[in-house]
Amino acid sequence: MGDILEVKDLSKRYDDFELKNISFNLPKGMIMGLIGENGAGKTTTIKAILDIIKDYKGNIKIFGLSNRKDDKRIKEDIGVVLDDMFFPEILTPTDINSVMKDTFKNWDSDLYFKYLNDFSLPKSKQVKTFSRGMRKKLEIAVAISHHPKLLILDEPTSGLDPIARNEVIDIFQDFIQNEECSILISSHITTDLEHIADYITFINKGEILLSKTKDELLDNYGIVKCTEKEFKNFDNKDYIRYKKNKYDYEVLVENKKEFNKIYKVSTIDKVTLEDLMVLMIKGVE
Amino acid sequence: MIGLIKKDLLMLKGNCKVFIIMLLIYTGLGIYGQADLSFLIPFMSFLMMMTTFNYDAYNKWDAYVVTLPNGRKNSVKAKYLATLILILVASIIVTILSLIIAYSKNNTDYESLLLVILGCTFATVLLEVFMYPAIYKFGVEKARIGVLVIVFAIIFVEEFMRKYIDFYAISKVFDVFNDYIFLALPITMVLSLFISYSISASIYMKKEF
Amino acid sequence: MEIIISNSSGVPIYEQIKEQIKNKIISRELESGEMLPSIRSLAKDLRCSVITTKNAYEELVKEGYVVTIPAKGFYVAEINIDLAREEQLKKIENLLDTIVNIAKVNNISKDTISDMLDIFYEEDK
Repeated sequence: MGDILEVKDLSKRYDDFELKNISFNLPKGMIMGLIGENGAGKTTTIKAILDIIKDYKGNIKIFGLSNRKDDKRIKEDIGVVLDDMFFPEILTPTDINSVMKDTFKNWDSDLYFKYLNDFSLPKSKQVKTFSRGMRKKLEIAVAISHHPKLLILDEPTSGLDPIARNEVIDIFQDFIQNEECSILISSHITTDLEHIADYITFINKGEILLSKTKDELLDNYGIVKCTEKEFKNFDNKDYIRYKKNKYDYEVLVENKKEFNKIYKVSTIDKVTLEDLMVLMIKGVE
Repeated sequence: MIGLIKKDLLMLKGNCKVFIIMLLIYTGLGIYGQADLSFLIPFMSFLMMMTTFNYDAYNKWDAYVVTLPNGRKNSVKAKYLATLILILVASIIVTILSLIIAYSKNNTDYESLLLVILGCTFATVLLEVFMYPAIYKFGVEKARIGVLVIVFAIIFVEEFMRKYIDFYAISKVFDVFNDYIFLALPITMVLSLFISYSISASIYMKKEF
Repeated sequence: MEIIISNSSGVPIYEQIKEQIKNKIISRELESGEMLPSIRSLAKDLRCSVITTKNAYEELVKEGYVVTIPAKGFYVAEINIDLAREEQLKKIENLLDTIVNIAKVNNISKDTISDMLDIFYEEDK
């Protein structure tokens, strides 16, 4: 199984922010969730992959081709939803169809209008009359109506209510029924990813903290809740992060079973992505 | 690229009604009173295109368009071509209406009429030539202010120089070219358009959004 | 086929899927030779990741409950019911071992335990 997207040693300097040696691979047929705080570097990473920003170091390959040299060819097969970047809002969904018809070789007008129908979006109203949720749904419909092989989505579910989020996630799962297709999806709403993502890549302050399969994270990682006395016993090789609360200690461990074998602690919970994010960022090493 | 040209034209379709009403009013004014339609050429093309730049900037279209399979150069090319199409359409409409007005008034000086329209058309192309690289470099807001400054500077310098230089004498020198004007103008225009486009494209190629 | 996934039970999701399919195979709810849903459609319907269902199927294949036919899909294997029964008995044995251990530590008699067993069996009826 080949990789549909390879990012290697991606670095980019700004005055007040730096992306440092970002590397990860997204295999065919898989969904990767990019998580991290706002401003952690998720959007910058996505912009570099799409060549929206310039002057970055590193190698990015999509479908095995260079993202810069084979730009036009690659983009025929990519669908994109960016945060707050889209068609000028005085256009209507019908206008967008006639533009896209002459932009993508594989543009499928029937499919596009079917999505508009499914999402109950008006066809000939200007986009500026849409609510934020409607706009996001339109952006998603536009992104998948040319049968892309790779979807790159920056915060696609932000601004959607739970019902709409569900609809959208269904669409993403429909999309990867074809095992040639993959999705890279950034989100700070981790519960969306907790269900459907195969891989999780966690970016913090411009660096990758971890990139693993989601099952590895959720099935193995654990949070030990204990007293100060218990905590003092732990060898700091055996945990990743800890956080001292008012009444207890929270300790993040990489393998809850192994940890329990050594220390026989009373409370060891499974983690959620949100716990993981909070402890990785706020906890002490 | 055709998609992108369509996008700019579709953005302006809302203005069609306003234009038709304006054209009717000015044609009426022309027939029953006094009116010169040639100002409508830059108005219906260049100024309208400026609003598309505004909308593009507002919705961060430039970042989005880079993710489509057009290539950055074609995105610039489409803007230039859409503007030229509009200039051409506006010039044709204005020519037809001006001829109707002239005919209704038994004015047979078609040649000077066409010359004025031609002058306006080329002046509008010149606006495109000078403004677009500035817009691509600095953004539409800053470019607009910049051009205003330059225009006023030229007028000021010209007024200042007028006291010392006999412009009439200089213009006499150019009379020699009068015979070739219908050939020289288009060639200059095409050439300057090409140079302008090349500058804009090279700016856009390196830009980050 | 019904599969019920709990996100809060602490049991890995692939294991929940695996165990439930296995139980259906042992109880003959799923007949041998029957085709199982594809990895991807099962992931969609259970709203979990593809890797999760893939892991579950791979384990089932390893344990001999499911066979895979390349380019076609996954089918319920011809299983030896005795073998499967033995495996289940082993599980019960392990659990009983724990029970007896707890009972001995706390001085609870064998009779009390067997009474409890009777009650549990009655309840099920």
